[in-house]
Amino acid sequence: MTLLHAQARLRDAATGELLGGAELAGRVSGVAKELADLPSGVLFLRVGLDLTSVLRYLGAFEAGRAVALLDPSQDREVLDGLVSRFRPAAVLGIEDEPAPGYSQDWVREDADGVAPHPDLAVMLPTSGSTGNPKFVRLSRSAILANADAIAEVLGIDSDEVAPTSLPLHYSYGMSVLNSHLRKGATVLLEGSGVVARPFWDAVTRYGVTSLAGVPYHYEMLRRLRFDPAKYPSLRTLTQAGGKLRTELVSEFNDKMRAVGGQMFVMYGQTEAAPRMATVPSERLAEKLGSAGPALPGGTFAIRDEDGNEIAEAGVAGEVVYRGPNVMMGYAESEAELALGDETGGVLVTGDLGYLDEDGFLYITGRLKRIGKVFGNRVNLDDLEQIVKGFGAAAAVPAGDKVVVFLDRADKDTCKQAAKVLSETLHMHVTGFDVRPAEGFPQLPSGKIDYRSLEAQV
Amino acid sequence: MSLNDRLRGVFVDALQLDDSVDVENLKYRDIEEWDSVGHMALVAAIEDEFDVQFETEQVIDMSSFKVAVDMLKGFGVAE
Repeated sequence: MTLLHAQARLRDAATGELLGGAELAGRVSGVAKELADLPSGVLFLRVGLDLTSVLRYLGAFEAGRAVALLDPSQDREVLDGLVSRFRPAAVLGIEDEPAPGYSQDWVREDADGVAPHPDLAVMLPTSGSTGNPKFVRLSRSAILANADAIAEVLGIDSDEVAPTSLPLHYSYGMSVLNSHLRKGATVLLEGSGVVARPFWDAVTRYGVTSLAGVPYHYEMLRRLRFDPAKYPSLRTLTQAGGKLRTELVSEFNDKMRAVGGQMFVMYGQTEAAPRMATVPSERLAEKLGSAGPALPGGTFAIRDEDGNEIAEAGVAGEVVYRGPNVMMGYAESEAELALGDETGGVLVTGDLGYLDEDGFLYITGRLKRIGKVFGNRVNLDDLEQIVKGFGAAAAVPAGDKVVVFLDRADKDTCKQAAKVLSETLHMHVTGFDVRPAEGFPQLPSGKIDYRSLEAQV
Repeated sequence: MSLNDRLRGVFVDALQLDDSVDVENLKYRDIEEWDSVGHMALVAAIEDEFDVQFETEQVIDMSSFKVAVDMLKGFGVAE
């Protein structure tokens, strides 16, 4: 089983080059052969939105070599930490001075390494963890099952042309690539993003048919007064990576419907490779605010505080997902590469929600202290730790951003703290709204009253 | 303050740039701070500072500091 359908094509927007059929298959197996000769261990791939990166990813998958996808702009310090913890066979897509124990072209000099479990195909960083990221371990069958289920619910066929509007080390971006290649569609490799002229020129020139975005993309598209009538080929929008305001869901759904197009709202987590639910486009208006029913092959259950499953519709609890796309587990170091499946296909999501009588999921909150910054999950307690040098902090989610209250801080200190958060977590500084506070509201227990802080934002 | 100085200030504030950045020669995606997220923050900050409203085409064409200067001149902002 392979990711690459015989008709799949890759188009490089920068050069116009189109690669498909036997030529693409040949290039991928060429890379696969080179990768097969590397020492034992996981491969680290700094994956950009370019042909070389994608060929390496596909080559690794083809060669049956576990590959961890990394942000190409990640700080060297963070990369060095990961290299020493995971001892990858090689780091691909880097030109820096090699780390100790690595040759000039970043191949590990010590031939001995932990052999990854044979089912392990892809590792993705869990977004937003502080300086010490861990990986989600995804099996080959989970990746393929999820690509197929996504393609089924979105109706992806070989006529589709999808641009890389999201990074490939981000699970949603990876799944757009996988689900299209798997069905013989075309993936357009474009790196400038939805706010830039080259992107929209490429949409027209190469007949882009769909666009994937997280909530902030939709905020941008609204600001840009996106008009699908101007792009006659573009008829499908998909949205995941956090809850989009329902007014915007309605607005974009109406816009797409008016031109005979469709909009899909979806729900997932990296731990599920990543998709778990999609609202059928024709029911979006009627099910506003829902994340949709489970994908084909998956099921949702809601658990109460004692861990018992709630059978009644409309009663909220913790969302549990079961399906063939659930991760094998996490990995924090090299030894864990060898582990097999630890989840048994069950993912306890940490999200709170309920199912309606039609089995549509509605997410109502988070069990853990988690926020989202431009679609990336961040642990709010970690944020407080990162800025503790500036004073006591209390972080709360605020849509696509987080607000961090900093006790007795002045404006300048807040600015510096935002910068430190941005640099540590590698996310844009405007995602961190750091505000001065005079003490924090407290619960009778003496703990910070986060609910009342959330009400202030 | 000249248009260039005011705009430089807006770039530094909106993108939280260090002093070492050569702002006047900046192009979109030259630096991490000016990515798509930064771009939207920047456009909003320029609109506020100069009390102008950019068209869609202008927002996606604003590919450098210099282009932004020319656009503002087009709005009649004095140099």
